[in-house]
Amino acid sequence: MRLPALFRTTAFRLTLLFLALFAAAASAFLAYIYVATAGEATRRTEQDIVREIRSLEGAYDRAGVTGLNVSLIERAAAERPFLYLLLAPDGKRISGSIEESPVDGFTGKPTWVSFQVTDLDAQLRQTRHPARGLQERLTNGEVLFVGADVGQDQAYVGKIIRALWGAGALVVVLGLAGGGLVSRNVSRSMAHLTEVVSAVRNGDLAARAEVRGTGDEFDELAEGLNEMLDRLERSMAGHRHAGDAIAHDLRSPLTRLRARLEVAFLDVEAGKGDAEHALGQALEDTDGVLKTFGAVLSIARLQAAGQAPGQILMDPAALGSDICELYEPLCEDKDIDFAAELDRDLQVRGNQEFLAQALSNILDNAVKYTPAGGAIMVRVRRRSSGEVEFSVTDTGPGVPDADRERVVQRFVRLENSRNEPGSGLGLSLVAAVAEAHGGRLELAEGPGKVGEIGPGLRVALVLPRVG
Amino acid sequence: MRILIVEDDLDAAEAMDRGLSEGGHTITRANDGMDGLAAAQAGEFDVMIVDRMMPRMDGVTLIETLRREGDQTPVLFLSALGEINDRVAGLKAGGDDYLVKPYAFAELIARVEALSRRRETGSVQTLLRVGDLEMDLIGRNVHRQGKEIDLQPREFQLLEYLMRNAGQSVTRTMLLEKVWEYHFDPQTNVIDVHVSRLRSKIDKGFDRPMLQTVRGAGYRLEA
Repeated sequence: MRLPALFRTTAFRLTLLFLALFAAAASAFLAYIYVATAGEATRRTEQDIVREIRSLEGAYDRAGVTGLNVSLIERAAAERPFLYLLLAPDGKRISGSIEESPVDGFTGKPTWVSFQVTDLDAQLRQTRHPARGLQERLTNGEVLFVGADVGQDQAYVGKIIRALWGAGALVVVLGLAGGGLVSRNVSRSMAHLTEVVSAVRNGDLAARAEVRGTGDEFDELAEGLNEMLDRLERSMAGHRHAGDAIAHDLRSPLTRLRARLEVAFLDVEAGKGDAEHALGQALEDTDGVLKTFGAVLSIARLQAAGQAPGQILMDPAALGSDICELYEPLCEDKDIDFAAELDRDLQVRGNQEFLAQALSNILDNAVKYTPAGGAIMVRVRRRSSGEVEFSVTDTGPGVPDADRERVVQRFVRLENSRNEPGSGLGLSLVAAVAEAHGGRLELAEGPGKVGEIGPGLRVALVLPRVG
Repeated sequence: MRILIVEDDLDAAEAMDRGLSEGGHTITRANDGMDGLAAAQAGEFDVMIVDRMMPRMDGVTLIETLRREGDQTPVLFLSALGEINDRVAGLKAGGDDYLVKPYAFAELIARVEALSRRRETGSVQTLLRVGDLEMDLIGRNVHRQGKEIDLQPREFQLLEYLMRNAGQSVTRTMLLEKVWEYHFDPQTNVIDVHVSRLRSKIDKGFDRPMLQTVRGAGYRLEA
């Protein structure tokens, strides 16, 4: 049999444990109160009895049995709250306020006894009270008993005990109620998180946990869960998109390749046509397909790894100047003005190879789209935020504001660039490299439109500050 | 040249076998790492072409074993793993060059020939000479027909590489890897521009051009 849901929760079990500890502490506390109050009352009565006996023994020592007897009669008459009994050494009653000793089998040693006395109350009804007494043998063999009615004390103690039981019950009830309340809250928060997890398990990647803004550990957990789901969703979307994109982008060159091979095959069969040329074309097409495939794979690996491997501290200016050196002649050939401003003494953490490839991709694009007579400017500098940017500004046609986000996506090529060579993966790879370094890719308008030229594009790879 | 091909992909091995045999090389083939090790231990080769991932014994273990035994035959690794750390692992194990699949056949041949040449010029040279072109590696200057040619540092490195591989094709990717030390493919013809600049410096004004373009492969410096 399974317990009801509430009782199975960790929260409730914890509540029970704390309740048990709380009850134990309360019991110890109440026991102390009991000892300090009820126990004290009994002890005081006993002290009174002992004192009375000592005082009577004083009378006995001074004046013998006769003196003691007189004292007893006087004291009984004075309505002292004690019960007395004096017995001769042979056990015969000499005097006293009670008929016989409540002590059974007296051995001669001082003996305490609890007993009942019968009394008449104001309405002359017989009432029985609990009493306490001490019996001692005197020097000459007589036996003295002094007792006291503890009815008052007992009633007082009973009240305390009842109060303590009440308090105990209150502790348990409050503890249970509080525990139930706490565990219900905890359970509710947990149940919500569990719901989200099971929704995700059932394929709803869009499910998110509610963050209540209390900043407690449940909020923390919910935030962590949401962040994890965000990344997961992005990565899944990336993979899905990659799959679609590969299918889309590889299908046309593969189809073309197949057609060319088929034509070549038919031509050769018919004994005519330039088979060699067709094969050469087919090889070229294959290379294109493989290049695209390689780029997609690089991006996918970077995105899957999350972090670029093999990151080291390096000088971004050195990296920039190496790449500038590679591209400068190309610009000169195309009659593009090339300039570089590389700030020294900066540091970035990164994978040299990936960063070089990213910069090279950005420059490839810039050279590709900047017309003769234009300009390209490469800059490495530190932003006021401490981030380091590699930026390339060109005077090409630029990318309209609305398209900037799109061109970073895989395989997106704007209409007017369809005829340029390239896989359409250049900026996607830059974005993936930036992300794998904890940085980002920014696209902005270049220097602006001057006549037919411009407005240009400014592409920045921004890396987080080091240290 | 005697070449050992250790490759478990039989189609790829067959293609290499045919292509390299046509080039006049003697080919020995092994279909997995263990056979490759036995073949390498039994014979003398000028170059070994070794696939990285193979059954029974992978290429890295194979080369590590051979290197421990003192075999210094130049090794070209073939691999589908193109990440920089895969490359580093291959070279650390004792590989001399690393070619990522899929590759163009011209690329493979160029690299195999570059590897075999490397062994021939084992001694440290201070002077490179190709035809009437001279490079002084200590004084860092270049002369053709006694006339000094002024080169930028990178142009000097580029020419040095071409001279060390004179008479053989070197691909654009090889130049990018060996001279610039980049292992990615730029989308544009950056290397061509650098080579054509170098060409204008060493060939302009001389009756016979030395730096030739090899169609479908790359470049070749001819004496």
